[in-house]
Amino acid sequence: MNILSAKNLNKSYGSIQAVENLTLEIVQGEFLGFLGPNGAGKTTTIRMLTGMLPPDSGEITIAGLSSDRKTDIARSIGVVPESRGFYDWMTAEEYLIFFARLYDIADCKKTTNNLLDQVRLSDRKNSKIGTYSRGMKQRLALARALINNPKILFLDEPTLGLDPQGQEDIQKFLQNLNRQGVTILFSSHLLPEVSALCSRIVIINHGRLIASGTISELQQQVHRQESSLKDIFFLLTKNND
Amino acid sequence: MIKFIWLKEVREELYTWKSTVWLLVASLLFSFTSYLLLTNKELSLLDQTELLWLLSKIIIGVGLLIVTIDASSTLAGEFEKDTAESLFLAPITPYEVVWGKIFYVVTLWLFVFLVSAPYILVTSASTHLTGAFLSYALLLGTLAVFGFSMLISAISLLFRSSKNTLSTALIILLALAVPALFSSTLKTNSVAELFGKINPIEAIFASLDNVLVDYHMRLPQNMQYLIPLLVFCAVAFAVLMISIRQFKRRGIVKDE
Repeated sequence: MNILSAKNLNKSYGSIQAVENLTLEIVQGEFLGFLGPNGAGKTTTIRMLTGMLPPDSGEITIAGLSSDRKTDIARSIGVVPESRGFYDWMTAEEYLIFFARLYDIADCKKTTNNLLDQVRLSDRKNSKIGTYSRGMKQRLALARALINNPKILFLDEPTLGLDPQGQEDIQKFLQNLNRQGVTILFSSHLLPEVSALCSRIVIINHGRLIASGTISELQQQVHRQESSLKDIFFLLTKNND
Repeated sequence: MIKFIWLKEVREELYTWKSTVWLLVASLLFSFTSYLLLTNKELSLLDQTELLWLLSKIIIGVGLLIVTIDASSTLAGEFEKDTAESLFLAPITPYEVVWGKIFYVVTLWLFVFLVSAPYILVTSASTHLTGAFLSYALLLGTLAVFGFSMLISAISLLFRSSKNTLSTALIILLALAVPALFSSTLKTNSVAELFGKINPIEAIFASLDNVLVDYHMRLPQNMQYLIPLLVFCAVAFAVLMISIRQFKRRGIVKDE
């Protein structure tokens, strides 16, 4: 069953066509890797899917809800956006409680403390966010995205700028979430990370979908059975240029 | 939802000490003005009602200035600090966010007014004008702040930058406040007269003059001055609604 369906999405910024006739479907429980070179339209697509940017044309349905029901969709999704600003003057606990209230969560404090435990920030929950390292902020962004127990999680480069340990922590956490049934759309430039985590991969370039499938299906598409995701990515995006 | 946004703003002000600094500046300014009005040889010769009128102009002027500066960064700051996307990803509408911020700005004004209250009490001591002064300064100031904060929110949504919002808001504030400070003898042509009639700040000063100097303290006697202020609020509301609608059409994040 599809949890997300986007049909013929188009978005242009002036004369630049950022996304062109993009059709995308995500099955419930899937861990989808969303790849593309810089400027391919990944972030624009994620922003359209999450309701942050209206498409010029096209249809989006998430968890059976059409895109005009923005607040209902917001209750079903979790997002770690590309821009990760925080209220630095708040503590992690205050920050999550603030968002829990916006989501109308019944037991804000309990939910917040559970999430802080899960992302291993409990011991620093009373410190100001401004004093956090990048890795801690990423984990806090992830906790905020999970505050409403979402059915689908959109992650726009969640491990960007993290050290290997930080990347592994987040990868394990995401794998665990996916095992619990959360559908994940994962955008990243770290291809080994994507091949280790994702059950299916979608590659876009110049705003168009150029490939979709499991790694073995992508290998068949480029007629190279032993290729790594990195080789496949280079071949497909170079052919498309 | 509006309550949580309002509460977040109030807490942010308390944590960052921004409003505390403003309130301190306001209280110093009011102290200095009151001291001058009561002790300066020439100024103390003024009639007490004139003193009150001058003080009321200063309180509302300072209040509007503080509110304009603070409101310019309240909404635009969310875009500049990259917190807008996370905020609007929550099940909250732009209307709720904007109203939460507007109510916070009105709260800030109420704090400025609270700081000014002891000065009003001292300056109006031994007159029967204290109650009227407090009531009208609060009513007129709150209406003006409400109108200005709606207008500034609309500008913030358009520019999404504190600097641009602040400079535009200050130009509007000066364009309305400066002519209101001119003497009526300078307003000789019909354009100046018409502008005087529709200018909300001029209406505030005229109403305070009507209450404090001419003792017309009943509300119906001041309706002619309240109308420009209410019209200003209605226009600011319309501009804000258009701005929010446009903001929703453009998207929460800026086109790249």
